[in-house]
Amino acid sequence: MRPFRATRSGDVVARLDPAEAGVVGLLLDQLDQLLAADADDVAGDPVMARLLPDGHRGDPELAADYRELTESSLRSGKNDDLAIVRATLPDGGGEVRLDRDQAGAWLRTSNDLRLALGTRLDITEDTEPPEDVVGEQDQQLAVYYWLTALQGSLVDALADGRVGRR
Amino acid sequence: MAGPLAPTRTPETTVEEHFDLDRPWVTIVWNDPVNLMNYVTFVLQELFGYDEPTATTLMLQVHHEGKAIVSSGPRERMEHDTSRLHAYGLWASYQRDS
Repeated sequence: MRPFRATRSGDVVARLDPAEAGVVGLLLDQLDQLLAADADDVAGDPVMARLLPDGHRGDPELAADYRELTESSLRSGKNDDLAIVRATLPDGGGEVRLDRDQAGAWLRTSNDLRLALGTRLDITEDTEPPEDVVGEQDQQLAVYYWLTALQGSLVDALADGRVGRR
Repeated sequence: MAGPLAPTRTPETTVEEHFDLDRPWVTIVWNDPVNLMNYVTFVLQELFGYDEPTATTLMLQVHHEGKAIVSSGPRERMEHDTSRLHAYGLWASYQRDS
């Protein structure tokens, strides 16, 4: 991967290896399936609870109100973002070039992927990247930290672009 | 706008409204182990128009104290702010100010 950086045109640009683009594609499929799943099938799933959290703590009635008011637009926002990331992800790797709106979609979707993986892997503030990748847990951790690097560079590139616009 | 048909206010409702004004609703961002520090700062700037030092201070408060109030106002606006934060995956909720 070549991390995201701001360009003079205002776009942000990164480069993904073929394998990296493949992994992102798979993760998008998984997120897509999770969001499309029957509510009954994912009831109590901690990842869903993290992607669509309660809006109010301690008052179930207010929390239900909030969900009714916001859940469908939050879901459609996630689906729209997913579609944008898919459309701008180079099949087989290559350059990712994003305008400001597309970058917002990548920011939110890569964060959702990190939230989903981080929740499944029980990430805490003390978790560290695996030194040797043995077994599936380490592989997923490695993917998590790879996404962290990608997203971190995207945030920095967008923040750079914001300073540049002033 | 109160005309001749406006309902007469009892002292009780006046007191209650006063009480409500004193205690607005707030939107809170909670600490979580996944969201990156630079991401939280960026989102707070993006959504609330905070300058970078203010957004950084709030982010550090979330990080060190476990939570920070990022906006306050009427309940409907706090619901809206919470949903905007949820769209970015921040761990947010709204409640009456305590």
